[in-house]
Amino acid sequence: MSRKPYQPSMPANWWLKHPAYRFYMLREATVLPLLFFIGSLLYGLYCLSQGEASWLGWLNWMQQPWVMALNALALLASLFHAFTFFRLFPQVMPLRLGGRTLPASWMVAGQWLGVLLVFLALWWLLGGYHGSN
Amino acid sequence: MKQPDSIPSDKQHLSMTVQRYRPEQDDAPVWQSYQVPYDDSTSVLDALHWIKEQQDSSLAYRWSCRMAICGSCGVMVDGTPKLGCKTFLRDYPKGLKVAALANFPIEKDLIVDMNQFLHHLTALKPYLIGQPSSASEPNRQSPEQVKRYQQFANCINCGLCYSACPQFGLNPEFLGPAAIALAHRYNLDSRDQGKAERQPALNSKNGVWSCTFVGFCSTVCPKGVDPAAAINQGKIVSTMDGVIQWFSPKQLDTTPQEPTS
Amino acid sequence: MAATKRYQRSDEPIWWSLFSAGGVCVAMLIPALIVLLVFGPWLGLLSAEALSYQRMSALLYHPLGVLFIGAVIILPLFHAMHRIHHGLHDLQWAHSSLAKWLCYGSAVLLSLLALGLWLLGVFV
Repeated sequence: MSRKPYQPSMPANWWLKHPAYRFYMLREATVLPLLFFIGSLLYGLYCLSQGEASWLGWLNWMQQPWVMALNALALLASLFHAFTFFRLFPQVMPLRLGGRTLPASWMVAGQWLGVLLVFLALWWLLGGYHGSN
Repeated sequence: MKQPDSIPSDKQHLSMTVQRYRPEQDDAPVWQSYQVPYDDSTSVLDALHWIKEQQDSSLAYRWSCRMAICGSCGVMVDGTPKLGCKTFLRDYPKGLKVAALANFPIEKDLIVDMNQFLHHLTALKPYLIGQPSSASEPNRQSPEQVKRYQQFANCINCGLCYSACPQFGLNPEFLGPAAIALAHRYNLDSRDQGKAERQPALNSKNGVWSCTFVGFCSTVCPKGVDPAAAINQGKIVSTMDGVIQWFSPKQLDTTPQEPTS
Repeated sequence: MAATKRYQRSDEPIWWSLFSAGGVCVAMLIPALIVLLVFGPWLGLLSAEALSYQRMSALLYHPLGVLFIGAVIILPLFHAMHRIHHGLHDLQWAHSSLAKWLCYGSAVLLSLLALGLWLLGVFV
């Protein structure tokens, strides 16, 4: 008897066909708005090197509605990225303390605490304390 | 479709659409719907049995143990890889679509050719290598040492994770979730000394590095194995292995060869 | 087809390590940075003088400022281009080594640009 196996192939839109794949692609796509924010930072770095007037121009540019909208999207994307990334960490690097694996929920909570601490530290560094006067 | 008289009238029915591929007449799979009776305890495998016995004896599918340990009855249920014996019709009151496992060549109806997976599994040598064997002394292992690999030892080779993995679908040369999880299981075993034999395959492009951590393999595993964790822990192992290789003096080349079929 | 080929060590450890380090930076630093830099003045979290030219150039052109460039520009760039490289493969748009060169090459070039701009500010 001869065989005639049917060879399936991945359709171009395979990633739309299951919620798990859509979630994955959304996670991968978080880098697109991130690239816009990195571009904004590079532009700011250029403006800062060009003197005060140029720097003020960049601050103005950052407050344009379309720039703020895209960077708001970048904020949402970075938070979604953080949500997925923090969940993967205990899987990739399970931490063991005294022969026991640290509960994944602790590691996730610890990372979100880190986000909060970074925010406070950066706020302080950027002059959050100036706001008091 | 005319219902045979043998269906008990007190049972509920739903529509189960089954993928058919009859190599002697079909060039591509086609769908065929059956009205199947079910109650709370009817599994997808039970329903396939009922179709084969009552409606269409030509339907082909694999099964054996009916209790989620042999790993034979893997099928796609509404696009998600599942064991037929562990999936119940009561959870699909609006009907369901049952297809052959994705990413594998289809031999007939719900029967796929899993040779690619078995080939990858063989390449990674999933067995104890070089343990000191002595007839008088058993290999001792502490509960802590067992715990390190036990989670990855529950694999039943059902192949659901390969059907869940788009990277395997895009590149069948990718060694894939179950094979790498089992390689990791033996690498973590205190009795095993075969890591050096497995590492070259794992270090290659088609080893751990084809994985993009979609994570769906771990979601669908019927035995709660976490292959995504194994592969991504394997990425750290492979990275360290590369760093060590980089700094160590040149040795005699004993790189294992990639097996060819 | 009896020829056997050797398993070739992938160069992915390099890109994956940069991607992972970048992923940590994006998750830990970028949300705070966007909130403060984009919405800080608007929400009243930062005063106008906090982001003044004098303060910002003093902060960023401090020798430790290069760490900031690395953590919020360079590593996130490698993170993003790694995902785009694999995304092109996932979408079956590009499999070639050209795509790889373009992805990581642009990350390298933009990183050099960032370092150059920083050095320009520090020394000029």
